[in-house]
Amino acid sequence: MNTLEMQPPTCYNLNMSAFISIGILILAMLILAFLQLTPGVYALSYHYAFGKYSKIKSSYLMLFFIIGVEVISACIFLSIYYLLSILFFDNFKPETSIFTWILSGILITLGFFSFFYYFRRGNGTKLFIPRRYTKALELNANSIKTRSDAFVLGALSNACEFLFTLPLYIIASVEIMRLDLQNTSINLFAIMFVLSPLIPLFIIRYKFQAGQTLADIIKSRNKNKFFTRLILATCFSLIAILIICFRTIY
Amino acid sequence: MKNFDDKDIEKELKIHARGLSIPEGAAEIFISRTLKDAKKSLRNKTIITEKDLERAIIKELKKYNADLAYVYQNHDTII
Repeated sequence: MNTLEMQPPTCYNLNMSAFISIGILILAMLILAFLQLTPGVYALSYHYAFGKYSKIKSSYLMLFFIIGVEVISACIFLSIYYLLSILFFDNFKPETSIFTWILSGILITLGFFSFFYYFRRGNGTKLFIPRRYTKALELNANSIKTRSDAFVLGALSNACEFLFTLPLYIIASVEIMRLDLQNTSINLFAIMFVLSPLIPLFIIRYKFQAGQTLADIIKSRNKNKFFTRLILATCFSLIAILIICFRTIY
Repeated sequence: MKNFDDKDIEKELKIHARGLSIPEGAAEIFISRTLKDAKKSLRNKTIITEKDLERAIIKELKKYNADLAYVYQNHDTII
């Protein structure tokens, strides 16, 4: 008997599935790290805080901004994870339902949207969100006085990006659950996913502490505008392609 | 119609200057000079829009500190 025939056929599929899950998670983390609203509000708040208070106080206030971002993203992710885990207990299988197709469609739309409409036309890095909301965010960034102000502004700015982050949280929850089914350590991926929106904030924090100013940050954002759009569109499309190819049953 | 207060603009510019780590004494001097020159350049106009005033301030600021002028011009285009 051929030895190859004796191997269980599922062994390869499980490893491949875990590999795909990790790939999707990494792409989702990359998108979260490339979104521009929270870093923009953070840079603006840091600049204003530094202009009004001492270096230590502004740094301390901005730490609470980061905590606000982290708390809201962790809360939303864990809520979605919990809701989907209830569905999984009821033998919900995303690959056999229309769920996966809807998600893929949303991701392709977001990919298209992020390339053409994420930044408004014209100078600067004006984002897609309505001008009224940006004015409110700018006003709040200018008037941070206490730790709670900074915390709320962090949470609010992260919440304004739900259009882009919500589908990612859903996909990440499903993929982490899938990894769990295969006895892969999920804690590491869950923690990495929840922490990924903080990467740009810590980079901006480091830049400010290294002596760079808001002018340098605005210039670098302007310079990398096309690259950001390209990365966002590519990552959204790649996730959609991976889901269509590996997570749907015809 | 809106009334512009020199002090508000001066305060805003000082916050930006401090955020950019420009020494306070120097910032105070060139901000007051900027506002004075900007007002002088707009003296002949009967109607002044917010944009006109902003443009005049940016033009004068550029003479003293390019970074401050850039931030004042672009602070509302970052998000």
